[in-house]
Amino acid sequence: MSNLSVFLKGNIGSLFLNFEHTFKNDGITILYGPNGSGKTTIISALGGFIKNIESRIIFNGNEFKDLDKYPPYKRPFGIMFQNPILFEHLNVEENFDFVIKRQKSNSQNKKLISKNYLINHLELTSLLKRSPENLSGGEKLRVVLARTILKQPNYLLLDEPMSDLDIKYKAKLLIFLKDFNKKFKIPILYITHSIEEISQIGDQIVLIKDGKKIDSGSVTNVFNRSSFVDLIGKFEISSVLEGRVMSYDQILRITTLDLDGQKLIVPGLPGNLKDIVRVRIRSRDILLSSTRLETKITENELQGIISSIEIEDNSAFSELVIKLQNLKNNKKIQKLRSRITTYNLKKMKLLINDSVFIYISSVSIDRQAYQLT
Amino acid sequence: MDIFHHLSSDITAILITLKLAVITCFFLALIGTPLAYFLAFKSKKTKPFIETIVTLPLVLPPTVIGFYLIIFFSPETALGKIFIILTGEQLIFSFYGLVLASIIYSLPFWVQPLQASFEKIGRDTIWTSHSLGAGLLDTFFNVIIPLSKKGFFTSFIISFAHTLGEFGIVLMVGGGIHGKTKVIAISIYDHVEQLSFGEAHILAGGMLILSFIILLSLFYFNKRTVVRVK
Repeated sequence: MSNLSVFLKGNIGSLFLNFEHTFKNDGITILYGPNGSGKTTIISALGGFIKNIESRIIFNGNEFKDLDKYPPYKRPFGIMFQNPILFEHLNVEENFDFVIKRQKSNSQNKKLISKNYLINHLELTSLLKRSPENLSGGEKLRVVLARTILKQPNYLLLDEPMSDLDIKYKAKLLIFLKDFNKKFKIPILYITHSIEEISQIGDQIVLIKDGKKIDSGSVTNVFNRSSFVDLIGKFEISSVLEGRVMSYDQILRITTLDLDGQKLIVPGLPGNLKDIVRVRIRSRDILLSSTRLETKITENELQGIISSIEIEDNSAFSELVIKLQNLKNNKKIQKLRSRITTYNLKKMKLLINDSVFIYISSVSIDRQAYQLT
Repeated sequence: MDIFHHLSSDITAILITLKLAVITCFFLALIGTPLAYFLAFKSKKTKPFIETIVTLPLVLPPTVIGFYLIIFFSPETALGKIFIILTGEQLIFSFYGLVLASIIYSLPFWVQPLQASFEKIGRDTIWTSHSLGAGLLDTFFNVIIPLSKKGFFTSFIISFAHTLGEFGIVLMVGGGIHGKTKVIAISIYDHVEQLSFGEAHILAGGMLILSFIILLSLFYFNKRTVVRVK
């Protein structure tokens, strides 16, 4: 199976789209950018719904250039639009049958995703005979997701699927998507505005602004780049760290991660022993000190070296990037961003290449740390 | 004897009127439905132009349409000649001339409710259908039509009722020939002209009741669907 290569160029309304990217054919790729930057247009164009633009889409050895030869209904994508729609004249099960009847038999070498698998994992049993008009927002979303997957797509395109969902459901659905992605090896392109969702399920991320790609790469890398910081705004700046589960305490419900030799205690039980887990830490939640503090005020103490300092103009704050100490010499460098007041920076007299002690309260670590392997 | 004669003549007019309304609605379904679809989803630049043409019969005096149709249907025109070759009859003053006139006259009544109903379905539903593997016709028959039941019902009822009530165009194009093109509306006119108010009462009252029932069923049905959706 080959990657999904996309080139799109042209005016759509007031937007000039000039986008080129090759999406990986595994994992979950996040498409992130401000409103009106062209994210939805890219998904619509992949689906074959945008006319009058220059487009070159190559997937699985097929070039979807000609809309007549590859009209929307012949394309192998499963698309969930921003405003998910169920056919109101059919009940939930009939909505499923609609797509099952039209399934193409082009997926011989793939595991077929069964209706029962989706009904079980998305908890749809009690909804099957219901009419769409009697479903809540969350129920409707699960049904639409199941119907999209029942198409047996070769690539799943989801446009802000969770924007209307409450947090409890969101966590469940994110875990479902991640598991689904791994189990059936169906790549997912995922549009979202939520930093949390990105850090939880994203493998790759593509940043887009004003119709142009401005950066792309793995989520852990891109999170530390200025291209991303510029998009999300300073207040939400955070770092994503990866660590291996060393131990967990079932009673206190905490997990200790090994961050290249240093320890990090995170709340919850995000993975099993030896699993690699990803956590997100907001820059404003980090305390720094140039000397070791004899304190038990936070659970975590890490060590690192300041690699850059940026004093912001017209603001009270400074941005520091700290390279975490790697005690394992495995050449992996994890970076942590810290945001402190310039007042404090001056008081502590911190300079580039100083070593610092980092104190992080486990409460501020994103509770839904996510299992990677 | 006279009353008896009147009665059978009126029954003939009633049957012609109903036949005209049914046949007109049949052709409106064939012509007006794709037109409504086109106006709702496809056209962009040409839309105002086509909408204007479709809506014209609503605002023009029936005599204006009737006048142009008489000219258009005359044996000298291509259409008139073709009709004579096919049937041996003139199109003007024939039943099928009446059907053709009714289709034109009632077209906005078919197209507008259906177009509104199609537009309510929206692009997202159609895109969803396509993305699930349904082609254009598949989507039309299995998604759009079932979702527009109310629109079809409204279009049918209003076009049917409207065709029943035509007078001006029918008189000009059909000539009110007994047994051929004389519909209820013309019969009533004739009765009143001859001061036969009794017969006029029967037909006029019948039309009133029938129209009332038709419209009531329309509003009742539409109200019920609205309640069910909520």
